[in-house]
Amino acid sequence: MTDWNAMSDAEFRKEVHQFFETEYPEELRHLPHRPKFAEIEHWHRKLHTKGWVAPAWPAEYGGMGLNAAKLLIFYEEQQRGGVNRGRDMGVQMVGPLIIKFGTQKQKDYWLPRILSCEDIWCQGYSEPGAGSDLANLRTRAEFDGDDFVINGQKIWTTMAHDATHIFMLVRTDPNAPKKQQGISFLLAPMDQPGVDVRTITTLSGETEFCEVFFDNARTPRENLVGELNKGWSMAKALLSFERIFIGSPGLAQNALGQLESFARGRGAFDDPVFRDRFAQAALDVEDHAALYARFADQLRRGETLGADVSMLKIWVTECLQRITELMIEAAGPDGGTVGPLQVGNVSVDVLASFYKARPTTIYGGSNEIQRNILSKAVLGLPD
Amino acid sequence: MTQTDMLSSDQEDLRLLRESARTLFERAGGSGRARKLRDAGGGWDSDMIGELAGAGVFGVTVPEANGGLGMGLAAGGVIAEEVGRVIAPEPVVLTIGLSLGLLRRLRPDHPKMEQLINGETTLAVAWQERGPGGAPADATCRYVDGKLTGSKAWVVGAAGSHGFLVVAGGHNGLALVLTEATADGLSVDKRVQADGSSLGELSFSGTPAEQLAEGSAVQDALAEAISDATALAAAELVGLSDRAFEITLDYIKAREQFDKPIGSFQVIQHRAVDLNVMLEVAQACVLEVLAQMDCETVPKIRARLASRAKARAVTAAKKITRDAIQLHGAVGYTDEFDIGLYLNRALVLSAWLGDDVYHRRIWLDAREEEGAAQ
Ligand SMILES: Cc1cc2nc3c(=O)[nH]c(=O)nc-3n(C[C@H](O)[C@H](O)[C@H](O)COP(=O)(O)OP(=O)(O)OC[C@H]3O[C@@H](n4cnc5c(N)ncnc54)[C@H](O)[C@@H]3O)c2cc1C
Repeated sequence: MTDWNAMSDAEFRKEVHQFFETEYPEELRHLPHRPKFAEIEHWHRKLHTKGWVAPAWPAEYGGMGLNAAKLLIFYEEQQRGGVNRGRDMGVQMVGPLIIKFGTQKQKDYWLPRILSCEDIWCQGYSEPGAGSDLANLRTRAEFDGDDFVINGQKIWTTMAHDATHIFMLVRTDPNAPKKQQGISFLLAPMDQPGVDVRTITTLSGETEFCEVFFDNARTPRENLVGELNKGWSMAKALLSFERIFIGSPGLAQNALGQLESFARGRGAFDDPVFRDRFAQAALDVEDHAALYARFADQLRRGETLGADVSMLKIWVTECLQRITELMIEAAGPDGGTVGPLQVGNVSVDVLASFYKARPTTIYGGSNEIQRNILSKAVLGLPD
Repeated sequence: MTQTDMLSSDQEDLRLLRESARTLFERAGGSGRARKLRDAGGGWDSDMIGELAGAGVFGVTVPEANGGLGMGLAAGGVIAEEVGRVIAPEPVVLTIGLSLGLLRRLRPDHPKMEQLINGETTLAVAWQERGPGGAPADATCRYVDGKLTGSKAWVVGAAGSHGFLVVAGGHNGLALVLTEATADGLSVDKRVQADGSSLGELSFSGTPAEQLAEGSAVQDALAEAISDATALAAAELVGLSDRAFEITLDYIKAREQFDKPIGSFQVIQHRAVDLNVMLEVAQACVLEVLAQMDCETVPKIRARLASRAKARAVTAAKKITRDAIQLHGAVGYTDEFDIGLYLNRALVLSAWLGDDVYHRRIWLDAREEEGAAQ
């Protein structure tokens, strides 16, 4: 097995770049929408054969075991090449949780299936009454023989209509004294009569998230991860993975690249005002990467991330929004036009980028919530 | 009548006009109507055009002698605001500002005037052209021997209009010509917009057209019509922002998280206040601009005023609609909630006739030029 971390950064970058450059299907570059698995399956197989599905997982679980610097390079090249993340909730979210809290049996069973995408995961946390106040969730799971029986509703479940499994937070002790207690972390199969998925259309006309209804749905007891009624603190640990992921420079770097090629094609770089705003955005992205590397290193050293990781998400998502807003401006009279805009031989879907950037300040814990966390847990400001 | 009496009677007229426009739109279904029309494939409702015409909407700035109400841009702005509040897709600003803006200045005698005022016809106006890089470029479209050749871009209302007023190079400088939507040698490529409407890319190959005017008068009237439409589009954006803000305010009062309305969190309160202040500034600016434009005769100053209004209105509308989504959380990102319709309409209206960045540049250039001239 290759020890990627032993390579020089330059060598590693070259290797990754080459792979994405030559192997990634052209027609999938810079996809404006979230693909269903079938659309990217072929690419996923290649990635899987190469052993590159999980760059951050330790090598013993089939990951690449990249250190922070290498991980950053990997994501940079992935984004630069317009390479789709794929259906990565398994790799980014459940995988790390199972690695950290799962039993050996759970690891042996689930991890390879995540890598091969035999199982495709979606995240069932939010509910109509439990958004920012996630602990307010009401979906219940009760023991019935060897199973849990699940009743309730999840919402905003990204790509649930194309997932085989859902990892979810459920209430297993409704009588616990605090909302945060009595919540458990469950894995459940979607393909069963008790699970009903309805897609929700977004304001850009995409169907990428869903409502998921549970009506006496079942999952075996052994699909509980960690201890019963102790799901909240685990989920919080997972949220910090999610935050560092959402806080990674990838999306913003990709958008910046798109902005640059589009704006050059449109001649926007002749305008001093645009030049300054572009430089601002470019530096915002570059300097964010420096901060990101600090956190990623911490993670590699096996340390748990502190509440301060929230600052990555705030910075990069708002930066991403400014970049996509600049794209709209650079598009001038085409700024409201749906679909790819042609400039020379590149085409950039300005509006799709703009739309994609909007909810990044809402999901993964809204930026208002991140600010609340920073002001309390980091700055120690009183309630 | 004293000056103040006159002022207050004008204001009373505007208030009545606003009320009747609002009632008309609300009765027709408010923003729900915009959603229906979008879902039906874009375009507008011809019955609504008839009703608007019946209320005198299209002729509002046309002098009474030419069959209009002669109320000026201030009145046009009131109507545009109401259009914006319900994000109505009908070509109100297009007709008041551009098509009638051109015709009333160049050919008040033309039969199309009356047809536009009474809602029998709609005409889209085509003057910009797209360069090879995709950005706006110098015009090359020609009108020779009764026929048009070349192309035009970003034509609002191209999909539903009965014909086009085209500005092209003619024998004596610019020519304003009229061509029917069904004319030979005309093809219209529709580019779908965020709000479901479309912009037309027109291409003419020997398309027959009737010349309405030529020479420097065309250039001047075009500049004036664009100024009018720009200021009216600003008013439409203000109306849109006003309603988007109302919807959001209602939402943050009702939505509960952590056992209280999210509107009870101070950070949300301050955000709402900031948006409100921004809205009020935009409203005041646009109102003042429209009134000043009605009294101002120097075209360059009118253009500068219009730029001021559009710059402010776009800045406010962008910020308000984008923050509105944020304050709604995930439901704001769905199509089910109306707030997304406002975001999308704001994108389209911002891009039309120049966004805030563009107009700030124009405004400053004009200001410097005036300063140098003094
Ligand atoms: C595109 C998209 C994909 C998503 N995918 C998933 C998914 O796969 N799985 C999943 O479980 N969830 C998913 N979500 C849901 C997401 O996690 C929630 O939207 C988020 O937690 C916010 O909850 P909410 O939408 O109910 O907003 P609310 O909590 O109702 O918040 C509304 C507004 O109030 C603000 N607010 C709330 N509380 C406070 C406070 N205490 N102080 C200050 N401001 C506050 C928020 O910041 C926001 O601006 C997704 C959301 C989106 C938009």
